[in-house]
Amino acid sequence: MTVPLSAYEKIVGPTAITQLRRLGKKLGGIRVVHVNSTREGGGVAEILEWMIPLMREVGLDASWEVIQGTEEFFEVTKNIHNGLQGRPVDLSHKGWKIFQEVNEKNMDKLRPTLKDAEIVVVHDPQPAFLLALCDKRKGKWIWRGHIDISRPFRPVWKVLRTMLEKYDASIFSMCEFAQALPHIQFLVPPSIDPLSPKNRDLEPSELETVRARFGIDPDRPLLVQVSRFDRFKDPVGVIQAYRMVRKVVPVQLVLAGGSAADDPEGNAVLEDVMEAAGEDPDIHVLNLPPSAHLTINAIQRLADIILQKSTREGFGLTVTEGMWKGKPVIGGDTGGIRLQVVNHHTGFLVNTPEGAAHRIRYLLHHRERIREIGEEAREFVRENFLLSRHLREYLTLILAIRRGVDGRSFEV
Amino acid sequence: MTPFKVKDCALLVRMSGLPPAINLRELRERLAACSENALFHHFCEPLLRPAFDHPDYRNDFAVWAKWYLADRVLAERLGILDPFSMGSLEEVRAVTLDIIDERLSEVAAIPSAAPGDEFYFLEATTIVFDTEDRIASARELAPAIRKMTNGSVYYHFLEARRRTPAGRDDFSAWLKAEEKKNAKYIRALDSIDFYFHTLSNLKEEIIAALEKVERKR
Repeated sequence: MTVPLSAYEKIVGPTAITQLRRLGKKLGGIRVVHVNSTREGGGVAEILEWMIPLMREVGLDASWEVIQGTEEFFEVTKNIHNGLQGRPVDLSHKGWKIFQEVNEKNMDKLRPTLKDAEIVVVHDPQPAFLLALCDKRKGKWIWRGHIDISRPFRPVWKVLRTMLEKYDASIFSMCEFAQALPHIQFLVPPSIDPLSPKNRDLEPSELETVRARFGIDPDRPLLVQVSRFDRFKDPVGVIQAYRMVRKVVPVQLVLAGGSAADDPEGNAVLEDVMEAAGEDPDIHVLNLPPSAHLTINAIQRLADIILQKSTREGFGLTVTEGMWKGKPVIGGDTGGIRLQVVNHHTGFLVNTPEGAAHRIRYLLHHRERIREIGEEAREFVRENFLLSRHLREYLTLILAIRRGVDGRSFEV
Repeated sequence: MTPFKVKDCALLVRMSGLPPAINLRELRERLAACSENALFHHFCEPLLRPAFDHPDYRNDFAVWAKWYLADRVLAERLGILDPFSMGSLEEVRAVTLDIIDERLSEVAAIPSAAPGDEFYFLEATTIVFDTEDRIASARELAPAIRKMTNGSVYYHFLEARRRTPAGRDDFSAWLKAEEKKNAKYIRALDSIDFYFHTLSNLKEEIIAALEKVERKR
């Protein structure tokens, strides 16, 4: 469902929306193509789902292409992903060959679209090799890294770097994620769509339906972590924290995870989580399909406290989602969570299951702080992490790339 | 008077190209070499980035010194620097380097941050938008400012001091077209000690100062 830009006026104010329309006009019908590797599941697909229609609404000729891969390819790219986030991985020459071949196959199909585009934004490593295959390209190519590559496993980075350095620019969510590259590197944090099924306001009856469906007790506090079943999200650490709290407070825990089409490791992690959860009836491990946006929305709203105890994180859009729903977030002291969770203002940063347990107990014993922090968190997201700011930065970035980014300011 | 054109602005932030600094000596080296754009960004533009209303210090160097070098003495010395009161960014650089050199001569070991907490030198391009709102007279200024975004307040009241040759804010520069008639408004704006306010506080302070003039009319 496409929501018109005007619908966001009541949330971010008419000035912000007028700015977007004016910027779009300046770009007058420019052809922009986004490329990634999955149509659904994960933060990137969610961003592109709203960004493409809104770019079109402000006057850009925007489109979204998804590369097709084999199971083998996604195993390789998962390894690349893990390697970029710092895990030593065994990526053979054969693996990189599969990576290149799948990119080549996709290029055969995408060449006419990509060759003529004025701006191509390639998201994450999976389609990164496309640029090297696109001879006679007309436009500027931008690589958008959504993950934390601050301390990559060097052998993986060294190969990927040879592909990325040919781009005209790159975008990272935070300066800590960036690596030295021979082109301009912009910093653009991602955002959420407040009117999407995952974030829009819900009726009490919708909440009650979800509560009943999963057997959540309305009389006991609920802790929720929503994220893919991925070791970097530390779902087992969350269970450990829950068990420490459970000794003194009768809490419940929901671990709601989706899986993305480009993540073959999810099932193995899910098995580990099930084993750690054991027979505890108050731990609800929900393996939800990528389309379960309303269910995720309701679960986050039913929570007393949102957890995102990641040990590595790109930006952490589930943190943003939780904050937008007026919840305090206890998050891992890493990556983009640091940009969003500020101790005592929007939640707490923690480094261990013990730290998470301590902050959960603090909040459950100071219920008024849950409300106060939650309110502050929502306003912080409104100011900084909604799609209007994100779209504005993309539009200004495209303007800046086209005119050259040398001055300190320019007027549009 | 010609109507005042209300503008708004946003930052497009990018890496400066300098390697991050892990300790005070590296910070000094990078500070000496960084562009004026980077200096401006870390001293003047933190106000436009996501933050809460009462950070300890107004510039990124002081904040880093406090939180990541755990050097509160240095943080206090850097934190009081007001870049808008200095003649140029080169003066800001010289004063900052002097403070760091003094600190390096005092400490037994070079203050250092943990891996992952390095200082990253950034730069930004300010993108300016015409809101198409116009202000016709001094009396309309306070209600118009009430409706402005923080970006507009930053652009017209702070950034203007670097942008314009006279080093004034845009509001009083505009009021000066009829200086005699608007003298009280100009004085009210000149009397604001602006650097240590957050943008929302600053907006309230400007409105309060202008409304005070209105009440005395």
